[in-house]
Amino acid sequence: MAEKAVQRETVLSLRETIAQIENRRLPGVVRAAKAADPAGFRRQREEASRNKILPLGVPPLDDVLEGGLPLAGMTEIRNAETRDAGAAAGFVTALAVLCQRRKKEKGHLAPVLWISQGLASREAGFPYAPGLKSYGLDIERFLFVSIRTVKDALWVAETALSVPVFAAVILEIRGNPACLALSESRRLHVRARAGCLPLLLFRQAGEEEASSAFFRLQIKPASAGERPLPDGSMLCGSIGHPAFHVLVEKSRAYASADIFLEWNAHDRRFYPIDQSVASQADGQSANSVDPFSASVGRSNGADSLGNLLAYARAS
Amino acid sequence: MARIRWGTSWLTQGRPDHPPVVFAAKIDNAMRLVALDTFAERLGLKRGQGAADARAMCPSLDVIIDDPAADRAFLEGLADWCDRYTPLVALDGKDGLFLDITGCAHLFGGEKALVDDVLSRLFLLGIEARAVISSSAGLSWAVARYGSAAVIAPEDAERVLAPLPVAALRLPVETVALLERVGLKEIGDLLQAPRAPLARRFGSLLLLRLDQARGHADEPLSPRLPVPSFSAERRLAEPLQDEEHILELARHLSGDVRLSLERHGEGGRLFELLLIRVDGRVFRIQAHAAVPLNDADRIAALFRERLQAVHNDLDAGYGFEIIRLSVLRSERLDPAQEDFSGVPDESQPLAAFADKLCARFGPDCLTFATLAESHLPERAGGFAPLTDVATVIGSRPVDEKACPENRPLRIFTHPELVEATAEVPDGAPRSFNWRKTQYRIARAEGPERIAAEWWIDGEGHPTRDYFRVEDQEGRRFWLFREGLYGRETSSPRWFMHGVFA
Repeated sequence: MAEKAVQRETVLSLRETIAQIENRRLPGVVRAAKAADPAGFRRQREEASRNKILPLGVPPLDDVLEGGLPLAGMTEIRNAETRDAGAAAGFVTALAVLCQRRKKEKGHLAPVLWISQGLASREAGFPYAPGLKSYGLDIERFLFVSIRTVKDALWVAETALSVPVFAAVILEIRGNPACLALSESRRLHVRARAGCLPLLLFRQAGEEEASSAFFRLQIKPASAGERPLPDGSMLCGSIGHPAFHVLVEKSRAYASADIFLEWNAHDRRFYPIDQSVASQADGQSANSVDPFSASVGRSNGADSLGNLLAYARAS
Repeated sequence: MARIRWGTSWLTQGRPDHPPVVFAAKIDNAMRLVALDTFAERLGLKRGQGAADARAMCPSLDVIIDDPAADRAFLEGLADWCDRYTPLVALDGKDGLFLDITGCAHLFGGEKALVDDVLSRLFLLGIEARAVISSSAGLSWAVARYGSAAVIAPEDAERVLAPLPVAALRLPVETVALLERVGLKEIGDLLQAPRAPLARRFGSLLLLRLDQARGHADEPLSPRLPVPSFSAERRLAEPLQDEEHILELARHLSGDVRLSLERHGEGGRLFELLLIRVDGRVFRIQAHAAVPLNDADRIAALFRERLQAVHNDLDAGYGFEIIRLSVLRSERLDPAQEDFSGVPDESQPLAAFADKLCARFGPDCLTFATLAESHLPERAGGFAPLTDVATVIGSRPVDEKACPENRPLRIFTHPELVEATAEVPDGAPRSFNWRKTQYRIARAEGPERIAAEWWIDGEGHPTRDYFRVEDQEGRRFWLFREGLYGRETSSPRWFMHGVFA
């Protein structure tokens, strides 16, 4: 009997380890076994797991992200073309604002660190302090590092992840450099998990590439709504809150194709916007639904030929 | 110079077969000798002689054009090297160094031993030098050039000084000539003469120099480098080459420095690691700290990054024999007591991070956002190097600066020229070409008119009309038209200044 219990314990711990390596939730059996612990321990664990997730307040997105933005680990956010960098920067900044606000609620005034490859910020523009401030970021606690090479940027990011004071670390990289391959992204991810920090890898004008991030989101621009007037009607022809079109490319949950949101800088939170209204505004986004069936547990869509990455060369 | 001419053979016994070497420079519109080696001196050549005359006396003469900058650099290098004896090293003219060895001599086994050590080491480096220790700078200067003694006790000063020529008093050439004409050839003659007539006839400088040589008047030396407030040093019997070992030693030294820092209740902001190579080359590596530091590990960590950054410039050669760690700038460090809540001080890890970054990429690397009160967008916001970590962490009162709404998230440092077409000359654009792509504008807000700041740029700068536009796919841009149509310009240009979220 005792032997069986030991075996069972071993199997459970192995499954837990595997689940951790795969960034998965704990399998049901393991969870049940854990829940059998004395009450004090269980509550603490549950709280710990809840602490690691930041809900974004948009149900479809939170469903895909399994509750919200992971606060310990790497999330990749990319945009397809340089000209879309504004939208992606807006989404990344919004996430940073949320992280910062969460820390503030806990009584910490935490800075946000933005590490940018020099080329990336020259191509798509430097972060602009008044703009960031009106976007909701605590500009007094915003640190910016511009670094010439990708390798140095990775070094800075890795160093920063061991500093527990940051609310979020943003690493902005342009394209798909060879020195940020699967193993490097795995290393950053592990560092971020160990340091309990959210690392937002902002890949500007990059291809879809295998990485160790929890999730990969592609951000496309979306037409903004109109400004509301005091009497409740909308001001025709005006540009309201910034809106985003989020494509979930990598996730464990069943990936729904398109999510439309808008960022309300005044309330400092996301609001979902009606998809039909958004697709009415620009005719093209109606066609952007992926024709292939969405895949579960791996990246969305098949890679085109010559884009296979992270495999050793046969010859 | 000998080393360059003869390679390593300068160390051999006796002089290689080579004509006498002299240096010449253009003085008073003629090439004159300014320096000559002992061999040339023996031939009867003199300083100040014309180069052509000297060639006539010795046809095989090797004349080299004088290079004051190289001389200066050499003297500076030598002064660096002399840092091993005392931190107070002053340059003296073109060919001398003053070392203030107050309180240092006993470290080398007495004054005589110190002089011998200096001279023998310099000889091994291929430098012929003369050194004198005395109680005043003037006396040392005189004896080193005109006398022959190594250490002069204070009570012997006048006895040693008396037989020296008056030129040993560091006087202008004219005064020396004047003194010699009236028969006052030796300093002893001056010492006996009454002071008042001397001052009347030759000026007060003569008496000042005389007093300085005798040690009656104080002569301040101006050291090349500020004296570090704290320093620790290690002399090695076996030279060190390995970076790891240097770091390890730096850590030991930081432990020593830490003790004295703690005693004074201070922490260092600027550290310097001085490495003296076996062949006399001196390396100085400086490292900044974001907050006052007195922790040995943190100080050593500063240099770990710094050494990696300067890795290529640091040529260990045959190894380093002296390593010194000094604190160049220190600030008050209030000892912090850990409180019972167990919450660690949050600024410490951030400060360590800032230090690492600055040590590796320079002090301008880590920046924080600044807001300025300016109408022009490019002046209103910027980034400045982070100097005080506490401002980022602490809850200081936020000075609310009025910040205009509707500013882009990203801005181009140099606005990019676009070709835009508008329906009416003053109106919003309908479409524009940016980076070889055409964008059709669906909605536009504006204009927001921003005039140039005449009190900075001067008058005549065109006014800008900013438009916030959204293209058909939902990208939002910030465009401006430079110049008011019809009033300031007839063909206004359009620029892309930033992108919105």
